[in-house]
Amino acid sequence: MKAVFIVYNQALTERVSEMLDKLNARGFSQWQDVKGRGTHKGEPHMGTHTWPAMNSAVLSVVDESLAQKILDGVSKLNETAEMQGIRAFTWHIEQTV
Amino acid sequence: MSIYSTAVKRPITTLVIFIAVIVMGVFSLRNMPVDLYPEIDPPFISVFTIYPGASAADIETNVTRPLEDNLSIVTNLKNMTSQSRDDISAITMEFEYETNLDEATNEIRDVIGRILRFLPEGIEQPTVFKFSSAMIPVMMLSATADESYPALAKILDERLINPLNRIEGVGAVGIFGGPEREIQINVDPRKLEAYNMSVEQLGGILAAENINLPSGNVKFGSVDYPLRFTGEFTESSRINDIVITSFNGNPVYVRDVAEVNDTLREMTIEERINGRQGLRLIVQKQSGANTVQIANEVNKMLEEIIKTLPPDIVIGVVFDTSEFINNSISNLINILYYAGIFVTLVVLFFIGRWRATFIIILTIPVSLVTAFIYLYFTGNTLNLISLSSLTIAMGMVVDDAIVVLENITRHIEKGSSARESAIYGTNEVGLAVVASTLTVVAVFLPMTLISGLMGLFFRQLGWIVTITITVSTIAALSLTPMLSSQLLKFSSAKRTGLGPKTSAIIDNALSGLDRFYSNILGWGVGNKWKVVFISVSIFFASLFLTGYIGTGFFPEADNSRISINIELPTGLRLEETSKTARAIEKIIENDYPEIEAINTSSGYSSTAGIFGNPRAGSHTIDLTFRLVAPKQRSRDVWEIADALREELSVFPEIVTYTVQTEGGGFGAGAPVQVEIYGDDFNTTNAFAEELALKMRAIEGTRDVDLSRGPEKPELRIVPDQEKMAMFGLNTNTVSRAIRNRIEGMTATRFREDGDEYDVVIRHKEEFRNTFSDIENIQVLNPMGQMVRLKEFASIEEFYSPPNIERKNRMRYLTVNSQLHGRSLGNVTTDIQAAIEEMEIPPGITYRFAGEIQEQQDAFADLVLLLLLSIFLVYVVMASQFESFSMPFIIMLAVPFSFTGVLLALFISGGELNVISFIGAIILVGIVVKNSIVLVDYTNLLVGRGKSIVTAVRMAGKSRLRPVLMTTLTTLLAMIPLAVSTAEGSEIWQPMGVAVIGGLSFSTLITLVFVPVVYTLNGARKIKKARKRNRKALLLQAQ
Repeated sequence: MKAVFIVYNQALTERVSEMLDKLNARGFSQWQDVKGRGTHKGEPHMGTHTWPAMNSAVLSVVDESLAQKILDGVSKLNETAEMQGIRAFTWHIEQTV
Repeated sequence: MSIYSTAVKRPITTLVIFIAVIVMGVFSLRNMPVDLYPEIDPPFISVFTIYPGASAADIETNVTRPLEDNLSIVTNLKNMTSQSRDDISAITMEFEYETNLDEATNEIRDVIGRILRFLPEGIEQPTVFKFSSAMIPVMMLSATADESYPALAKILDERLINPLNRIEGVGAVGIFGGPEREIQINVDPRKLEAYNMSVEQLGGILAAENINLPSGNVKFGSVDYPLRFTGEFTESSRINDIVITSFNGNPVYVRDVAEVNDTLREMTIEERINGRQGLRLIVQKQSGANTVQIANEVNKMLEEIIKTLPPDIVIGVVFDTSEFINNSISNLINILYYAGIFVTLVVLFFIGRWRATFIIILTIPVSLVTAFIYLYFTGNTLNLISLSSLTIAMGMVVDDAIVVLENITRHIEKGSSARESAIYGTNEVGLAVVASTLTVVAVFLPMTLISGLMGLFFRQLGWIVTITITVSTIAALSLTPMLSSQLLKFSSAKRTGLGPKTSAIIDNALSGLDRFYSNILGWGVGNKWKVVFISVSIFFASLFLTGYIGTGFFPEADNSRISINIELPTGLRLEETSKTARAIEKIIENDYPEIEAINTSSGYSSTAGIFGNPRAGSHTIDLTFRLVAPKQRSRDVWEIADALREELSVFPEIVTYTVQTEGGGFGAGAPVQVEIYGDDFNTTNAFAEELALKMRAIEGTRDVDLSRGPEKPELRIVPDQEKMAMFGLNTNTVSRAIRNRIEGMTATRFREDGDEYDVVIRHKEEFRNTFSDIENIQVLNPMGQMVRLKEFASIEEFYSPPNIERKNRMRYLTVNSQLHGRSLGNVTTDIQAAIEEMEIPPGITYRFAGEIQEQQDAFADLVLLLLLSIFLVYVVMASQFESFSMPFIIMLAVPFSFTGVLLALFISGGELNVISFIGAIILVGIVVKNSIVLVDYTNLLVGRGKSIVTAVRMAGKSRLRPVLMTTLTTLLAMIPLAVSTAEGSEIWQPMGVAVIGGLSFSTLITLVFVPVVYTLNGARKIKKARKRNRKALLLQAQ
């Protein structure tokens, strides 16, 4: 099992949900109005006057095979909308209850 | 859930709500009456008191003054003027606008009730009369006839006036100058004397003969008959055969002592319409009724009535106020369409896409119709003010939608779906959009708070712009994202075709402009102090222009009407007066093809009574002209009026004349009025005459005239009380007797076909023509003796003192002047200078009144409004930027807008009047908006870590298009307003000129000046920070 954490410009919310639905990743948690900025490039998404954009974040715990598909989907999404900003991170899940 | 995400997620709800708004708006528009201005009820109440037999001076002391003293405590009273003339005291009270006149009337009645017992015994109950807009005639008709002339008044009364009166909203239809049938019994006094009879006795007999009396009922068998005695004259000729007395056993008939003529009443007024004899009809409306509707109904009904009239009767229209209203309103609606087209073109030019343009333009109808809903539900009309407000709003309502749509497009281009771009794109700019709307509202909302005449005018402007702008913001936050989510899509593919190609060309050109501007900014930032110096000097230099720009009150429009009042030597008889009138008519007919209809009234209307012009008499002529439409003539109404003045000045018999053009219909009376206060008639007269002489020499004055008329020659019968008493006579009987013989005694009424005609007895004309005729008048005394007038009275020739005018309880008179070709402000300054040269006698004070006073009041209000707007805009911005200095930098655009206004007025030769002043106030909101866009984005870039200079240049480059776009939409929306020459355009033109001048100039200046000051301010802050750092470092080092 892997946890996939996706942070993305909230303008991409529907696309991300769509992707997860398509991949049959049923379980997830979502945060709205998340602030953040990238390490290297891209506009900060701070919800301020200077940086008005905001992020949303999704955490989904899935099988490893599915996790890879999700990452592929995210990178595809990133290609079509590079300026908006989307990042995904994964890590191992040790235990679930 | 925010408004935009709801709107995007529920597109159908959003759509139907806005459709409902549009339907409501169209419904309101269809049902809205049309008028020239918002309804203004003139706040005047008059009190008329009749004191028969009292002279002007008596009236002043005994009636006017006590009334004035007590009436002055009525609340909200602004001015009180009075006129005391023979027999009549007329007090006119002017209240503050929007005073409740019903309450005021009650208060006045209370006051009168309290002091009535202190007034002289002989007065009649004072009448309180509320002046209302209903008194202003809606239409003036003329009727001319040949063979039907003697019966004209009667025919019209039955067939025209009665039907017209039945039209809803028609208040009164007045008839002037028509002949009236009268049965005259012209007595030969010598014959009457021979039978030892008096006029009164003759009258008594006639009255006693002309009687029908029910005499009870009689029962004949089974029938009950009412019995009636019928003595009434069935024919006027029967009067001849009435026995009045018997002499030596023979009956004496009326025909033995008098001539009975069934004829027309002797006229005091002669009406000519285009030279033909006829009469004038005036249609007045009821208070609150709509002029245009009434005029339409009247015209419709006239068409039908004319068919039923005898063929020789011609009904013409001397003037129809609705014509001017209709024309100028429809012209303004055209202007509105043009403005809409211009705005669309500008948006298409900059956006370059049909769908996006459509979405933006859609906010125009949506927000503008809400203005109609507002107008309809508050019972207002579609008028010049409301329509020009819409033109102003037109260019501004698209601004918010543009900003929102731009940001949505940006998101779509970055790769988001249209739906989400719409939601989040709107979210990002939502606050900024609301804030910029608030600055506009800060300017327009205070307009709804002004009081007085200006308030009545500009309240609508304030509300309409506030409402439409607010609705446009709501639409920009709901309708625009919704439509964007549905209509816009991302297309990375290269667009081909004519449209995209032209838009590519435009885009290239605009990019060039961006770079050019960025370079200018680069230079400006490098030469900060130079830029500041140049800008500041331009501003101060422009202030010198104020010396060359005239000021005025309200623009006057060419409404194709001229009226002339002419006075010939006082006391001239009507026949002589008409000769001059005919001569003038002839000149006009021959030399003035522009004049379509001439209505001439010579003399005075005996039925006008207390409402008539106090100076009218047998020696006065009133002419009213209707000109052909302005497009069909080369001279405007003022040029024609001035040419007419020249024509009149060559008539030796004309003492004074006034040529008036009736423009916007504001400020009754002459535009220039100097009031001269002082108790003594002679000194005030002399001073006024001297001033009038000087005023005539001032350029631009016309028809300078004194309000106090010349003294009138008068014959007075002065009785010797002692002798009169000896003969057993008293003043009452004697004065009545004289009146009955000269003016005539209405003995009874002759009835025919349901109408009654006066039967008037008096001396034959040849027996009342000379001094001795009057001296020989015989009066019957109680002892039954005939006494001649000369035995107890003498006749003297007098000059009666003029009417006594008072204002705010002081005697005064005014020197009036019309204006031609020069502004009110300049002429007033010259008059002021002339007065200062004169020696003002002690006891005399003077004051400017008329339009100059209205103007000063209005300007004082407007200056206050301007300051309030500036303050509120500052408040809105200070909170938006959370800074005290930022709003200052942004508002530096404001002074340059005034520079622009001055320049535009100077170049166009316009004057600073109420309308152009309002234009200047509106500018505060508009120009600040530009500045905000620029400064806000610069702030943003600085916040993103750019250096100030880079930020300024970058912001300039990227914000130039939105600034130009919003500026051009507003500017082009105003161009039709400024350049139109259509009928009525004079009224709204100054606003267009002011806004265009101010906006274009201030945009040009602020594009450079504001960024430069921004850098200066930034540099100051950095220096401060460095100083602080240095200090801290020094401290550390120590």
